Amino acid sequence: MNGIIEILSDTKLDYKQKRAALSSFAENSLPYVDISDKARKYMEDGIICNLNEGNAPYRPRYVLPDYKKYFENGSKYLNIKKPSDMYEAVNALLIIYNYVPSITGYPVYLGNIDELLEPYCDSVSERELENLLKMFLINIDRNLPDAFVHANIGPKDTKVGRIILNLEETLKDAVPNLSLKCSKDTPDDFIKLAIKTSLEIGKAYFINHDELVKVLGENYGIASCYNALKIGGGSFTLVRVNLKEVAKISKDYNDFIERVLPDVINCQCEIINERARFIVEKAKFFESSFLAREELININNFTSMAGIFGLYECVEILSGMKMGFDNIAYEMAENIIKRAYELVKEKEGLYCNGYSGKIGFHAQSGIDSDIDVSAGVRIKTGCEPEIFEQIKLEGKLQKYFDTGVSDIYIFDKTAKNNLEGVLTIIKGAFKNGIREMTINTSDSELIRITGYLVKRSDIEKYEKGEPLREGTVALGADSIKNCGILDRKVRGI
Amino acid sequence: MAYINKIILKTFIDGPGSRMAVFMQGCNLRCKYCHNPETWNLCIHCGECVKNCKKGALFFEDGKVKYNKDLCAKCDVCINVCPNNSTPKYEIMSAGDVYKIAYYNKDFLDGITLSGGECTLQYEFILELFKLIKENTKLTTFIDTNGYIEFDILKKLIDVTDGFMFDLKALNSENHIKLTGYDNEKILKNLEYVSKNGLLYEVRTVLVEGFNDSEDEIEKISEYIYKLNSYTKFKLIPFRPLGVKGELSNMESFDKEKFEKCYNISKKILKSRLKD
Ligand code: SF4
Ligand code: SF4
Repeated sequence: MNGIIEILSDTKLDYKQKRAALSSFAENSLPYVDISDKARKYMEDGIICNLNEGNAPYRPRYVLPDYKKYFENGSKYLNIKKPSDMYEAVNALLIIYNYVPSITGYPVYLGNIDELLEPYCDSVSERELENLLKMFLINIDRNLPDAFVHANIGPKDTKVGRIILNLEETLKDAVPNLSLKCSKDTPDDFIKLAIKTSLEIGKAYFINHDELVKVLGENYGIASCYNALKIGGGSFTLVRVNLKEVAKISKDYNDFIERVLPDVINCQCEIINERARFIVEKAKFFESSFLAREELININNFTSMAGIFGLYECVEILSGMKMGFDNIAYEMAENIIKRAYELVKEKEGLYCNGYSGKIGFHAQSGIDSDIDVSAGVRIKTGCEPEIFEQIKLEGKLQKYFDTGVSDIYIFDKTAKNNLEGVLTIIKGAFKNGIREMTINTSDSELIRITGYLVKRSDIEKYEKGEPLREGTVALGADSIKNCGILDRKVRGI
Repeated sequence: MAYINKIILKTFIDGPGSRMAVFMQGCNLRCKYCHNPETWNLCIHCGECVKNCKKGALFFEDGKVKYNKDLCAKCDVCINVCPNNSTPKYEIMSAGDVYKIAYYNKDFLDGITLSGGECTLQYEFILELFKLIKENTKLTTFIDTNGYIEFDILKKLIDVTDGFMFDLKALNSENHIKLTGYDNEKILKNLEYVSKNGLLYEVRTVLVEGFNDSEDEIEKISEYIYKLNSYTKFKLIPFRPLGVKGELSNMESFDKEKFEKCYNISKKILKSRLKD
């Protein structure tokens, strides 16, 4: 009961945040889903972690509704008809966003918004169009104040996509997170517009569309931080393994590869499957969700995610060498990732119908409580080698991740006058195996933490104890302190 | 073989797109405002820097000064104490060596730019390097020069070069002599020749108070470029004392307001051809 009082009287939380905290308090008063003692022990020791998902999950972690279908059929449950003009289309989206479940309560996927809205462009004047899109973006930022709320644009060139990029640059809001799918057919000047926006505000992500289509098919979306999942599906859960901690309990590299890592990943998959089982069988999510009833989601498009992070430190412990500077360290890094990938893929993923019964593999981006451990497979912040080398090395690792992986490249401000040059580097990165990446400049107003953005000024406010709308600001401020985010190497001359 | 002061793998300010820049050792002008006077001369192995390096990164071997990168703290003391405007840190590399670096990173580059010092002093190396690049990659080849080149050498270089950037110190010949010690006749002739060949990508002028910053000079230089052709971009750069040795080492950075004034004068004439 003390916990409840603590939440109720926390002056750093507003009403909604308290409500969310109370509901997770209630959920966590139940015992954790049924897992083995060994798996439990790994969780207690911080080797496996399930990212505050709660003990008794009653909804999938990531849900990617098929908004295209929603636009085609409307929704009985929401009493929304098929939109007939831009006003109705924008309104329909803003309404359904409030009904998409997730761990945070905010939708992690907003759809391929330019493709969705483009057909309605002719129904309004140029000025109306811009005003509507502006209102749409501001509404999302204020009503869904969570930086994991993620919109997609591209790969086709669209008027809506271009307006959104321009608006984002002037609005400078942290929400929504944004990804541009880039394919061979995406015109250079559309990508360059996104580069310009990115150098100002740290988003959009650049997505290697052609590569991801090979893995997931055309029908995928980028959700939350940078998770690549099937549209009309999603992921039940994300459980991650801290490779640094796994290395610490291994005798040596062989022991790590042959004994400890298989054992940990075995338990990771066990936890994942029990959580998926709970959502489907116990909480009966698909029987109670109108999204499922109206076929905006389908269990056959779902999977679960096995994440890893802390590869850099893991390699450092096992070899005494540094990724990015020693070839042997890098070979070891790739072997570890390959091994982890194979171990995950050996297991049956319960209800992972969207991934042929397999659990997706994910390079997890890290959270606020991670101290001295690097995100996913990234090289430690501040220790990156020269940028081209970094891209080449990361490119070799990214190919193993089928549900999301990304890296950040930071340029100095000379990049702003040379979008062409940045475009060349992004294309080169794609050619070298990079699937997802972001860029930013060292003097940007929004700071990219690991998978999301927060404002520099908001972090200063948080530190002074002022209440804020965005839960992720708190995450961000702690992340900056604990993970040395601001130390990330500036790319330039 | 060539003397290479430094290679920067990625630059956004030395020509179009993403480029690798190679700074070569040795120069034939002596500009008073030079930001890198340590690129002027080759080392004469006097040993002054060896005595002053606190990290043991410099040592003698067979009577020559050698440099151990791994021990260097990048404090630049060696450069500051060198009485000869040189550095013990430049490397001797073949065209093949430099080509290999460019080739390795070709996916991320639009081209390569040779700069200095005055890179054209080592033109045989450039010819060889650019030929290798042209034969094996799609990278473009650029040269950043002070323009003080023999005409037949320039003609040879034009065959393998996609663009030139000229450092024009002053249009007025007297000003030019005051700043560099040399007349600019040869430079202007070369610049015009390159312009006619469609290869003059950019002209740059560093504004130095009292030397080349009069309204008259800015106007004339801008008009000169305006009339030269319809494509060359012009860039004005404010003087900064960083790295400068000698007479101007104590001069303050070029005044911001004054710079804006100069910029606006040039902007009126060149419009979008004046770079920000
Ligand atoms: S770099 Fe300069 S100080 Fe050092 S040995 Fe050469 S000439 Fe002398
Ligand atoms: S910069 Fe020069 S003086 Fe300084 S440590 Fe390196 S070699 Fe020695």
